[in-house]
Amino acid sequence: MLIRVKAATLNDLFSEATVALTTVMYGDCRDAGIRRRITLEAADSDELLQEFLSEVLYISEAENIVFCGAQVRTDGRHLSATLTGEDFDPGRHNTGTEVKGISYSGLSIREEGENYAVELLFDV
Amino acid sequence: MIEGVIRIGEFEWEVPMGWTPGMRVPGRFFLSDVLSNTLERGAVQQLANVATLPGIVKFSLAMPDIHWGYGFPIGGVAAFRLDDGVISPGGVGFDINCGVRLMTTPLTSATLDRRRDLIEQLYHAIPTGVGARSSTKVNEKELLEMMTTGARWAVDRGLGRPEDLVHCEEQGCMKDADPAGVSVKARQRGLPQGGTLGAGNHFLEIQEVKEVYDRKAADAFGVTQGQICVMIHCGSRGLGHQTCTDHLKILEQASRRYGIQLPDRQLACAPVDSPEGRAYYGGMAASANYAWANRQMIMHTTRSVLSRHYGLAYDEMVLVYDVAHNVAKFEEHIVDGKRIRVCVHRKGATRAFGPGSPDLPAEYASIGQPVIIPGSMGTPSYLLCGTETAMTRSFGSTCHGAGRVLSRAQAKKTISGRQVRDTLAGSGIIVRAPHDGAIAEEAPNVYKPSGEVVRVAEAVGISRLVARLEPLGVIKG
Repeated sequence: MLIRVKAATLNDLFSEATVALTTVMYGDCRDAGIRRRITLEAADSDELLQEFLSEVLYISEAENIVFCGAQVRTDGRHLSATLTGEDFDPGRHNTGTEVKGISYSGLSIREEGENYAVELLFDV
Repeated sequence: MIEGVIRIGEFEWEVPMGWTPGMRVPGRFFLSDVLSNTLERGAVQQLANVATLPGIVKFSLAMPDIHWGYGFPIGGVAAFRLDDGVISPGGVGFDINCGVRLMTTPLTSATLDRRRDLIEQLYHAIPTGVGARSSTKVNEKELLEMMTTGARWAVDRGLGRPEDLVHCEEQGCMKDADPAGVSVKARQRGLPQGGTLGAGNHFLEIQEVKEVYDRKAADAFGVTQGQICVMIHCGSRGLGHQTCTDHLKILEQASRRYGIQLPDRQLACAPVDSPEGRAYYGGMAASANYAWANRQMIMHTTRSVLSRHYGLAYDEMVLVYDVAHNVAKFEEHIVDGKRIRVCVHRKGATRAFGPGSPDLPAEYASIGQPVIIPGSMGTPSYLLCGTETAMTRSFGSTCHGAGRVLSRAQAKKTISGRQVRDTLAGSGIIVRAPHDGAIAEEAPNVYKPSGEVVRVAEAVGISRLVARLEPLGVIKG
């Protein structure tokens, strides 16, 4: 599944990508006060985004949490993020598609005018 | 056809050296004119990218269900020398040992009564869809055994018959599995998911054998016309997905360290005989074993439901075979007249060993390995067998399915799941899924025609048709 994400800042790009991932997997979500923090380092912003989304995927599945959003601070090599969400509810969150992994194929963050953009390939 | 690709036979095409910089061997794929209309340039680019990897032998290959994936194309097959070749998670995929098994029953369409009730019972007995958790509790020690002994773990636990193991590729266990290559995170994901179907294109289907093409092979496989069978398609769940993710990161860094130029980061790899390569192989094999245990557990649950519903004995429900679609393995093949040991990657491709090959049970030895090709919800699935030709043309490999022509997003936008469900019900096919969106995403017309894919596979000789099975009831994840 190919997803296109566009945002005004790198922080927002990572944040929007998180929402895209969790919406594909679980549909709608409402913030119930659950918080998780992620800190990461990577060689470049592409690798950082792949690793960040992989971590979101892992926490979500391992802890049965559906994330609604992410506040992200990144310089393209370092990242700290706070994820917000709610417990997985089989009655409400079963309308999505399971994402098996975040592929590197075609993942290349670029500047488009005043925005950042990226295509993400989710293995579903 | 894509520019620069050369037709070299009625169903065979070559991507010549130089089509993309750095190719070490040509690319080859098998396709009919009908199927070539849906071929994406991206799939050919991926085939060519694989041809740039060190130590690749003879050709970068793709089967007749070739389509655009990530890293390797779906339908991709490539063999690498052990001394200077590489191993890559991009040649296996996130869903390690995603595979399919086929089980026969003594039922016929005439005796398959209360079908809707059966589908409901199966749907509730087998955890299905996003976020589904297993009702079978597995502890850390048992998970370790699943990873080291595969399907045998389930059989030893009473979830199957010893005879089942003989009818699995690798007897349901890769012996080189090394659970040390499976991280704590991957284990955490695997613990609650044993015996779950998953979502996406995974399914359990009740099918009828509509036509037998090869009586001798069908007899050997225990398949008869009119018989009701069960097909199960799923993989290694979160444990395998996480193992791929973890090793992708390690191998991405290793590729740079070993000076391997990658045209696509998803092709991250390391020499087969390197600490990183060995660690991935061990973890991948452990994940493959988890997948075999998983399918064994689901088959056991299916047997329980069928037994309760129709009074069948477990030994009346026989596993024909279980095949892996996403895996890398060490195998011996004859290349330019010499027998060599290579690391064969199959990404959305099926092993199709011919008669007399090692690893086949005695009763199939003269026929060749059963090859199971699932169709889509409303289209036939096929049982085929491996051939000598596959051994010489495709490293003992063939296609694995139909291959998509419409993306999931396009399908959801343009197709009504409810309408598909009603249309299929009108054709006598009952579909049960967590939501209508899952049905729309997997509607019959989002896939290439499975009949054309297997026709090409047979025409080029890489497998031979044995029987056609048509769906009567489907559980979608």
